[in-house]
Amino acid sequence: MKTLFASLILLFAAGAQGQLDDPKEEARAQDLMREIRCVACENEPISNSASDIAADMRERVRAMVADGQSDEQIRDWFAERYGEFVLFRPRPGGAGGLLLWGTPFILLLAGGALVYVLRRHGGGRREPVEPVPPEDAGSP
Amino acid sequence: MIEAGHFAAFLALVFSGLQAGFGLAGDRARSGLFAKIAFTTMVFAFLTLVWAFARSDFSVELVASHSHTLKPFGYKIAGTWGNHEGSMALWCVVALGFAASAAWLMKSDRPAFEARTLGAQGLLSFGSLAYLLFASSPFTRLDPAPLQGQGLNPLLQDPALAIHPPMLYIGYVGYSFVFALAAAGLIEGRIDRQWATTARNWALAAFVPLTLGIALGSYWAYYELGWGGWWFWDPVENASLMPWLIGAALMHSIIVTEKRGSFSAWTALLAVLAFCFSMLGAFLVRSGVLTSVHAFAVDPLRGSLLLAGLLVFGGAALLLFALRAPKVSGGPSWTAASREGALMGNNLVLTVATATVMLGTLFPLLAEALGETISVGEPYFNLTFTPIMALALIALPVVQAWAWGRADLSSLWKWAAGFAGLVGLFWLAGIGPLDIPLLAGFGLALGVWLVFGAAQEIWRRAKTAARLPKMPLRVWGMTIAHAGLGIFVIGAVLQTSGRTQTTLALQEGESQPVAGWVVQLEDVSSIEGPNWYADRATLSVRKGSARSELQPQKRYYPAARMPTSETAIHKTGTGDLYVALGDGRRNREGETRWTFEIFHNPLIDLIYLGVALIALGGGLSMAGKRTRTSNRTGETA
Repeated sequence: MKTLFASLILLFAAGAQGQLDDPKEEARAQDLMREIRCVACENEPISNSASDIAADMRERVRAMVADGQSDEQIRDWFAERYGEFVLFRPRPGGAGGLLLWGTPFILLLAGGALVYVLRRHGGGRREPVEPVPPEDAGSP
Repeated sequence: MIEAGHFAAFLALVFSGLQAGFGLAGDRARSGLFAKIAFTTMVFAFLTLVWAFARSDFSVELVASHSHTLKPFGYKIAGTWGNHEGSMALWCVVALGFAASAAWLMKSDRPAFEARTLGAQGLLSFGSLAYLLFASSPFTRLDPAPLQGQGLNPLLQDPALAIHPPMLYIGYVGYSFVFALAAAGLIEGRIDRQWATTARNWALAAFVPLTLGIALGSYWAYYELGWGGWWFWDPVENASLMPWLIGAALMHSIIVTEKRGSFSAWTALLAVLAFCFSMLGAFLVRSGVLTSVHAFAVDPLRGSLLLAGLLVFGGAALLLFALRAPKVSGGPSWTAASREGALMGNNLVLTVATATVMLGTLFPLLAEALGETISVGEPYFNLTFTPIMALALIALPVVQAWAWGRADLSSLWKWAAGFAGLVGLFWLAGIGPLDIPLLAGFGLALGVWLVFGAAQEIWRRAKTAARLPKMPLRVWGMTIAHAGLGIFVIGAVLQTSGRTQTTLALQEGESQPVAGWVVQLEDVSSIEGPNWYADRATLSVRKGSARSELQPQKRYYPAARMPTSETAIHKTGTGDLYVALGDGRRNREGETRWTFEIFHNPLIDLIYLGVALIALGGGLSMAGKRTRTSNRTGETA
């Protein structure tokens, strides 16, 4: 019911197909629409979905962008209203967010360090390594 | 007829069991023979299914639930593998096909090793066939037979999607053969240069079709889903990307094993992982544990069986690896700044990228188990996967000239200056005439850098223009694949930064400007096809004197009770003007307005051209003459 009410307000706030006049603002709104999940569909951002609720959510994004709210404020608003589930860009704070965002970079650094330590020194002896041009061993 | 097919599949199960038994016992000749017989019987079994689909024999349950008399003939045939059971049957055909061609192609110069390879592959085929026959049999009859079938998912009634699954399966199952080679090599304690020469070709035989399969799936999603994008970081897409990334890592690691006898254990591990990720992909797609736009056939029981298969085969192989890995290490020493170091860097980035894709794909499941529902989508991958991969791409042109063992770093500063200059150039152009964000400028510079790097590398090797045609096919393959990567990057960056989306609501006769074009709705009419009916809009698009007509449709398939969108694409020469038809709505004055989603996708064909070049490079590389390798440096203790 709340949603219906919000969408009614939104219908008055912006035209049915209304794109924002300022192309920079419209681009920002479209970027946000690509990272907010439609709550009625399977794994679709609201930018793609043809459902009515997605259209309402798009209008809400545009209205908030036009209102001068920051990306962070808009994301927070949607997360508060529909749950974290609605954000395709999970927030670093919530639900193991640090694990999710940190792991790739930690793996890269740890892996790099491991390779550096384990690289072959010729059985531990510090003998000079003779370079072999790639062509000498055939092609790549 | 279908009973004969059912019986033949049972025979194939028995024969692949014999192939496994004799193979693991070391009998190359008998194992090879049974591999060929098993393949032949399974092809027959599969053909009986195709025949049932061709004749719309609805007394076969599979045909009744997935076909329809009104379906065009080609899609009746493709319907054989457009469903879970049929696609598993295809999987078995391909698995046995790899074994049979290996039995035929391998030269019997290392009979014990070849026997064990066929044996391990036989075990995998046996497992797949057992799953097919006992958990998802396509050969079940229906009594009484219905008069009409329930139709195929209309989204799948499409040429790209008819050949997409076979390609993907050749890739997935191809890695099962690489897996078998690794298992046999580990059992023998010989992952050496000769092993790598053999395995490299089979790894390419899996990589090339997998690449094409993924590209076809992406192209299908582009024009069929009506969303204007080409990659959605959807779980099912990610499931096919993971084995591809590991396969790409394997291809580079295998070169070090082949040329230097180094990285043997690591190469074996990647060979095992490539197939584990293929099975993980099959599990993710078939189990329905993840919600996805591509998930067509889902069943939790089958999912758990596939997961069990993954754990048994993957676990056994990893155990074998843990026991045998110390036996297969060797090779001359190398420093960090060397060809070995560069390829190890490539492998590091690709495996971390794979882990990132896996984490992002499975994290929502993990969180759900802990009582949280979250989503991980495109923005996450753009901020993790993309910068990590970019590191490797920046380095590629520089490090591919490095020598084995220890590289000469004296020209490093020239490369650094070259890259900085290129990025600066794009930034200047970006601020000025192109009007693109800095990040996009960086991305475009990176793409150009890769193409330039590929050209530079082949020139460095050939030294003169006269020698260019004489360069080995392998070198051409590498060059073309790396250039393709650059072209792909340019296309992908242009899509990310330059794509525009406009929603229009038009009445007949009305026009609107979009991305420099004037779009006018001429009319909307109702049309009918063999098993669907549709609203079809006719739009004219104009820019100066250029004019074209577009006819997007919204189709409805009554047999499947399902709407689909048929997009219309105008190739403008510099990109795609892409139109998807939405709903028509009547307002209070009785006027009907139709909604259209219109995308302008600049130079999107570069993405597919790039991927095609990567596949072509792989193909050339495979067609190239095998380099004769002695086991000089590859002898293992």
